[in-house]
Amino acid sequence: MIRVALMGNPNVGKSVIFNNLTGSHQKVGNWPGKTVEKKEGFFEYNGEKIYVVDLPGTYSLTAYSVEEIIARNYIVEEKPDVVVVVIDASNLERNLYLVLQVLELGAKVIVALNKMDLAKASSISIDTAKLEKLLGVPVVPMIAPKKIGIEELCRKIVEMAKVKEWSIKIRYGELEKVISELTRDLEKEELFEKYNTRWLAIKLLEGDPQVLEEIEKAPKGENILGKLEKIKEIFEEKYGDFEIAFVEARYDIVKQIIKKAVKGEKKLAASDALDQALLDKYLGIPIFISILWMMFQFTFIASTPFSNILSDLLAVLSEKLRGATGIPHLDYLLFGEYGVLNGIGTILSFIPLIMTLYFAMSLLEDSGYMARAAFLIDRAMKKLGLTGKNVIPIILGFGCNIAGVYGTRIIAGEEDRIIAIVTNPLIPCTARLAVFTVIAAAFWEFAAVNVLLSLYILGILLSVLMALALRKTVFKGIYSPFIVELPPYQMPSLKVAVTQMWIRGSLFFKKAGTTILLGLLVIGLLATTNASTLTFTENVEESLLASLGKALQLLFEPLNWDWRLVVAAFFGFVAKEIIIGATAMLYGASEEGLPALLNQYYDPLTMYAYMVFILVYVPCIATLAAIRQETGSWKWTIFTMLYEILLAYGLSFLIVHIGRFLVGAGI
Amino acid sequence: MKKIILCYGGFLGILYVLYGFLQVYNGLISWGLQGDVLQLGIEIYETSIPNVFPDVFSGVALTTTGLLFLTSTYHSLKKSEYYRGYIFAAWLLSILLMLLNIVELFASFIDAYYPFLLGYKPGEWSLATDPWGIAPHLILGALAAPLYLVFRDFIRELTF
Repeated sequence: MIRVALMGNPNVGKSVIFNNLTGSHQKVGNWPGKTVEKKEGFFEYNGEKIYVVDLPGTYSLTAYSVEEIIARNYIVEEKPDVVVVVIDASNLERNLYLVLQVLELGAKVIVALNKMDLAKASSISIDTAKLEKLLGVPVVPMIAPKKIGIEELCRKIVEMAKVKEWSIKIRYGELEKVISELTRDLEKEELFEKYNTRWLAIKLLEGDPQVLEEIEKAPKGENILGKLEKIKEIFEEKYGDFEIAFVEARYDIVKQIIKKAVKGEKKLAASDALDQALLDKYLGIPIFISILWMMFQFTFIASTPFSNILSDLLAVLSEKLRGATGIPHLDYLLFGEYGVLNGIGTILSFIPLIMTLYFAMSLLEDSGYMARAAFLIDRAMKKLGLTGKNVIPIILGFGCNIAGVYGTRIIAGEEDRIIAIVTNPLIPCTARLAVFTVIAAAFWEFAAVNVLLSLYILGILLSVLMALALRKTVFKGIYSPFIVELPPYQMPSLKVAVTQMWIRGSLFFKKAGTTILLGLLVIGLLATTNASTLTFTENVEESLLASLGKALQLLFEPLNWDWRLVVAAFFGFVAKEIIIGATAMLYGASEEGLPALLNQYYDPLTMYAYMVFILVYVPCIATLAAIRQETGSWKWTIFTMLYEILLAYGLSFLIVHIGRFLVGAGI
Repeated sequence: MKKIILCYGGFLGILYVLYGFLQVYNGLISWGLQGDVLQLGIEIYETSIPNVFPDVFSGVALTTTGLLFLTSTYHSLKKSEYYRGYIFAAWLLSILLMLLNIVELFASFIDAYYPFLLGYKPGEWSLATDPWGIAPHLILGALAAPLYLVFRDFIRELTF
């Protein structure tokens, strides 16, 4: 049986080739001990049985990400008979870099030159015979979706598997002297059979953390590390950082190959031209802010009439249900002015808002713009010394912080990952959006969207600043690099957007029917139980909940909250949506509507500070559980809670008091 | 043809930047800055057309659109291929802003008149009283819309 490994950059058409080769003979699972998907399959060609494994898509074979480690360990340890490197003919420079790294490993390589149609559309003509000669390996031109080149690839796999003698060396110019010296030392020590010694020498010079760790553990590892230090001392002055020197040397070779094998100047493609504008150094961020503003404006205005209709219908329903149980106390608890239906109804009336936001986000994701937004934020983060990979969890956090925390799994470095986890709850999720919308609409009406946007920008800024503070104090190590893959632009599909909206929205329904309902029932029971007699009461001021709220209110007096707001924030710990439901219940908002009531009690400055508090203070209980699971430590979970409470309180305090000092209480 | 399009793009760019700055200024006035709200349009029944309602972020969006139009003209004068991307991005933003304006009018209309369907007294709404009624987003977007004829091939190439 011939064993074949399929590898390549993400989005080069590797999966299409894998499917073309193996058809229905596939098995999908996970790589041992990892959450990365493993696909393997079989097929027969000219009587030869061929086993294919689809390795994770990678841009290089360093040891910075799980995908890279899986791919290179498979080639090193499993030693497949043939490695097929799938490359994108319309983007040769980035793709050939990976080919050189696979050749360094000493693997028998076939290059599958996919997307030839795209290259032709971009006016690129590739001389495949010359490319074969320059690389020293077979090159198969392909258009995978049309199955063009599949037959030729199968033939080459069988031929290559029969090759016994195989040796290709990529020559790295001046660096050769250093590589040869270290290779000789490694050959003398005979440390590892599994490794190609030349590759080992290159990786040691590059300072590859995984290889260095293995050498340290090896019996004669100390000798090698000693020699490595001596070599580095001698040559580092001349070559500088070896890792950078090797990257440059590989790109020099790639440029030479392209110069000789590729004809025609690549025409500026429409997507590249558009990227030039959307990722412009100066206009990129204003475009991003404009699109974000449009998204919120659309969400707010398109959902308002539907929220109002739903709210009116729920009020009618509440009126009709009064007295339905026949038990006065239960009736009051469920359908009364301070009843659970009042709270849950207020939350449900925000379903149009949440659904519209998901719809708008899905359209943006589908168009390909979200990846560009990630690139823009990455550029800013890199300048601050932070990993750009945090962008993905941030975007996931806009939907739900639990998804954001789990999304940090894509970050390779442990330190970067912890930073991303503990700062993710500062990103406002949709649950908090519902809270902000009620308050913003009550106090700012026409400018409500601007207030919402200011909170989102504040959340992102605080998350970045906190990450920066942690990076400069607790974690001073190196950060892992991040390559943002920019997918092609496409016309967003309404069907996809509606489906996504429904899937995400139904999760909200589920939560409203379980956690939120339960939380509101507890609040309802506490609000109707007399604090001194523990019997039923209709006077919420005498209730157990009022006692709890009034005790806590002492702490929040400087922020000008009454006990009801304190209790609502307190129960927001269970789920943030509860804040708005609880506020509606505790102020008895069914008749007049919550916005009008809040306006009677508070001024805009106090409520802006309250929103900032809700934005920053403790994450919900499910997010905390996710933080505990992902950091594997109570220390970081408690740290997240504490710093967020202190930061929230401090910011709200400053907003209220500086605000009053500057413009007076009447704004 | 290319020259006409770029001149037209430049003209739109100036208008977008002008109304964008006005809107940012009016927005800052509404936030407490000293001064009077400024309008640049025709007065009909005490309503300015277009109505530059105060909104800083909306002003930023208009200004950005205008700067994209102007940058495309700049790249074209430099004979750089990049002009295509800038003018298309500007056109796309102008169309999205126009659509947003239309959605806002539609939503405000429903919000005002749905109580009528439930047997209540409807609210009051008219193009003249709605700040978004006839805003720069709508008028400038309508002026930019015909450029679609120029971008058909670009859109086809983009979604290839």
